[in-house]
Amino acid sequence: MSKYYFSIALVFACFFAMAQTEKKIEKPIDSILPKTERYGIRFGIDAFKLAKSIYDKNYKGIELVGDYRLTKNIYAATELGNDNKTVNEDQINFTTKGSFIKLGADYNSYQNWLDMENMVYIGLRYGVATFSQTLNSYKVYDPGSYFGQSEAIPSGEKYDGLSAQWAEVITGIKAKVINNVFVGFNIRFNKLFTNNKPDGFDNLYIPGFNKTYSGDFGIGFNYSVSYLLPLYKSVAKPTEKQLKKDIKK
Amino acid sequence: MKKIIFLLILSFSFSACEKDDICDANTTETTPKLVIEFYDFINPTVPKSVSNLVIKTDAVEKGISYSPGSKILVPLKINADSVTYRFIQNGATNPLTNVNVDIITINYKRINTYVSRACGFKTTFELNPTNGVVLSDATPADNLWMRETQIKVFQINNETEIHVKILF
Repeated sequence: MSKYYFSIALVFACFFAMAQTEKKIEKPIDSILPKTERYGIRFGIDAFKLAKSIYDKNYKGIELVGDYRLTKNIYAATELGNDNKTVNEDQINFTTKGSFIKLGADYNSYQNWLDMENMVYIGLRYGVATFSQTLNSYKVYDPGSYFGQSEAIPSGEKYDGLSAQWAEVITGIKAKVINNVFVGFNIRFNKLFTNNKPDGFDNLYIPGFNKTYSGDFGIGFNYSVSYLLPLYKSVAKPTEKQLKKDIKK
Repeated sequence: MKKIIFLLILSFSFSACEKDDICDANTTETTPKLVIEFYDFINPTVPKSVSNLVIKTDAVEKGISYSPGSKILVPLKINADSVTYRFIQNGATNPLTNVNVDIITINYKRINTYVSRACGFKTTFELNPTNGVVLSDATPADNLWMRETQIKVFQINNETEIHVKILF
């Protein structure tokens, strides 16, 4: 029996020895918690368009936003929506109706601490829209006219089957407010590639692109509220740069 | 953090941003006026200056008086296909002397064309081939001071051409 005791003690001794060596290796890693990055689909809505649809009787529109995290810093991103906007200017009153989709990517340049998931990003988009325009009324420009100012002339002419394609350069921020809810803001500088204009009128507003200025430039912005649906986590590997820094220390 | 503040400030500056386009009639072709040039009846190739000319239409209280010259610009109505003016020779003299009134009726078709966001539309005109410019005497009759009208250009698209020639 004493033979067995000895054997058991020997086995345990081996375990202890193993545990000891393991502990020795583990200790330095234990001091730094491994950082995990969450990957998933984020989808949301443009809060500005939603609010504007309520308070502005000349505007009805919606824009859905979404992105999917591809790598640590790169997100595939999209926006799609619908605009129905009546513009009343001094000389022209018109209504633009149509849909748009934008596809592209965002690059996050913000170095998050710990489990922060904020973004300060730049992005690129390709946008396309199909729409119609209705000229509601117009005035004839007749400066200093002897007969007095021209009155608005009702028209109602509708121009169908219009389309446009453009590129956008975006800069913006996204911040996590609670758990999986993010709010964001971005500014977009747009440049038209193709603009299928109607005969006898112009595309003065393009859904998704916004107001057109001479020279095919446009400006847009977007206040988004979005929800992150996490799909998987990945342990962030220290980058080569960080490793080199650590070695230097 | 600085970046975020900068972006927020930028966002507010853009949210109220609306480019105030102003129509510049000097660089854009807008609604043209009818260009009439006066010529000598005896020598029809020589432009002749009219002095103290006033034209007036019944719908408007004030007339248009022209500084001495052979060329005048006459506004056309953008909401009617015809306009009638009293061409008052010596109408700008004070006190009025040697006044002679003739009546000119201009008949035309109108075309409204899109120009731009700021300018809206412009109206161009096409003089009627049969009765584009009709000359008649006023009542009470005081004889015609103008002798003959000739339409040179029927399409009134700009003010650089002379559309109508009047001999007196």
